[in-house]
Amino acid sequence: MEKILEKKRIDDWIAALAAKSQGEWEVHAPALQDGIWTYQPVSGAARLDHPNTRQSPKEFAFPQREVYFSFEQIKGEPPKLTQILPKETRHAVFGVRPCDGRGVPRMDKVFNDHVEDTYYTTRRRNVAYVGLACNKPPNATCFCLSVGGSPVSTDGLDVQMTDLGDRYFVKAITETGKALMMAGGNLLAEAAAADQKQVKQVHADAVAYPQRKINDPDGAPAKLKANFKSPLWEEMARACIGCGICTFLCPTCHCFDINDEVQNKAPLKGQRVRTWDNCQFPDFTMHSSGHNPRENTGDRLRQRVNHKFQYFHENFGMHQCTGCGRCVSECPVGIDIVAVVNKVTEHVG
Amino acid sequence: MINIQDIRDTARDMLAKGEVRTVIGYRRGSRGMPAEPAFITSPEQADELIWDPTCYHNLSLYLVHDSKIQAHLRKDTGAPIGIIAKGCDARSVVVLMQEHYFKREDVYIIGVSCEGTGVLDERKLAAQLNGVQPTLAAFDGDDFVITTAEGEKRLSARDVMADRCLECRTPFPKEHNAVFGEDKTGRQLAEPFAALTRFEAQASSERWDIWSHHFDRCMRCFACRSVCPMCYCEECVVDSITFPVTAQTSAAEKADRVRWIERSATRSENITYLLTRAMHLAGRCTDCGECDRACPVNIPIRMLNNKMEREAREKFGFEPGASIGGSSLVASFLDSDPGEFIR
Repeated sequence: MEKILEKKRIDDWIAALAAKSQGEWEVHAPALQDGIWTYQPVSGAARLDHPNTRQSPKEFAFPQREVYFSFEQIKGEPPKLTQILPKETRHAVFGVRPCDGRGVPRMDKVFNDHVEDTYYTTRRRNVAYVGLACNKPPNATCFCLSVGGSPVSTDGLDVQMTDLGDRYFVKAITETGKALMMAGGNLLAEAAAADQKQVKQVHADAVAYPQRKINDPDGAPAKLKANFKSPLWEEMARACIGCGICTFLCPTCHCFDINDEVQNKAPLKGQRVRTWDNCQFPDFTMHSSGHNPRENTGDRLRQRVNHKFQYFHENFGMHQCTGCGRCVSECPVGIDIVAVVNKVTEHVG
Repeated sequence: MINIQDIRDTARDMLAKGEVRTVIGYRRGSRGMPAEPAFITSPEQADELIWDPTCYHNLSLYLVHDSKIQAHLRKDTGAPIGIIAKGCDARSVVVLMQEHYFKREDVYIIGVSCEGTGVLDERKLAAQLNGVQPTLAAFDGDDFVITTAEGEKRLSARDVMADRCLECRTPFPKEHNAVFGEDKTGRQLAEPFAALTRFEAQASSERWDIWSHHFDRCMRCFACRSVCPMCYCEECVVDSITFPVTAQTSAAEKADRVRWIERSATRSENITYLLTRAMHLAGRCTDCGECDRACPVNIPIRMLNNKMEREAREKFGFEPGASIGGSSLVASFLDSDPGEFIR
């Protein structure tokens, strides 16, 4: 299904999606707030002129805080556990860039491949990703082409939109995507041959646009493995401050911690919650003995880079990194995953 | 105006003579700007050093890292460590010495004056450039010259400087072993605490609404803590383990540990984290602004520290990092202290 949507009619499409008969979608789109682009709930007006959002859309299926269950222990009675599953509210996320779209199947591999994580899958089946192709790289730190992606990739998306100036070319990728487009009714007109031709040209230009480059992405897994003990890691991580920016903003970082949050001591009452965790925090691998197997920033940088470019590749046959460049542009001390991978893969050790 | 070659010559010379073991400075980042921290250990590397308006980082953080590593390795530190320090950074070094984190002779301070300007605020710059991406920034008198894909652009530094630099009272590193650039102390481009004063002009309900909004947005990546040279505690109140664990620590002790702040990034926990940090920085924060710059979601963290700094100044005439011999705010008692709140 390929259609044309006048730009000024996007608000009507979004409004139509909220109707009960059309699936009662809660629509989110990037908005500029506090100087950064973030996904905000929208009922109508949405402007899709963002470069990319500061935080990735991973939060829609994998929020920073997920409650597993509540617990209560009254003296003399058996403990009471109540599972708390996410609400089955449907979310349509507009303006998802192709790199973030490619993050979705990677998260699916982790939470819905060998094991099914009920919390993740409940949210995931209720989210639709309406992508926006990048006519040119929106940021100087973009490198999707180096990791098997493309500025016009449809991977992970339900709908792909392409900006054609005064209108969008809208293409359904999945059945969910078709349903979203049907909800728009007459707002979406049939795409003519001229539109097809134009979108083809826009996509070809987008792919030809120069980007930063990882020189040997295919050779990276073996070379990273060979350089596990390289002194380069310590050197490259010398400035690392050990904060969580790179992983919290990443569309594919998925590590978490589980804690019991006690709200009342007597009678005992609380919740078991899952929260994002972070391999760059010094206490991430702290053993209860006090021993820390990843003691230095070099060990921790290596973990993050190897997970993206070696371990994930060994497990699932694809790089985990999608080249969004957030960890590069937002690192306060200039640690640059492109430069790191290039340096290690070009190192003869 | 500072000639970077002079700084490079000093660094090269000291490294060649073995007078310092490392010079911590700035070098060109892999993307051009911003600069990134550099650890220069051999004379040949000295030419990597740069000085431009993107040298934001308060490098005294790495003196703290170095002290921790040295203590861990139980090594004699040998020659001192050289550090390039702006006015605010040098004051941080002084605070760390007041707190006996290291000794004066352990550090060789290569001071750089911010002269008539200061460092860039990339958010202000982005607003001026309208989507055009900058690749380099250079000082030029009262202006910054910005290189972009669409050519060079000259901007009045005052329009794109960080608030803390506009309000800075001492843009010159008083404590130093060597210093570059002119002392322009007193050049102050905006009133001290101007941004804070503007904020405080609002009604308390408005202020609460604004801060509640920010507290809700914090993701607890801890960049503000991690980038701060004053946040050097071995065990921080927000960490999952807030006491030293040994082989003798029992399972019950670990399980029943006090968790002052839960890991959930919710308003109550975020408030506790951010305000605890602000309180712990009272009389210690030298307004280097790194917490504010590092925050990935633009929470105006500097304002919290600024508030404490103004209290210290107005109530006790206290200036953090003014002199090594000076007392620290929370460790001194004055007979003249009115102490009205504890009577």
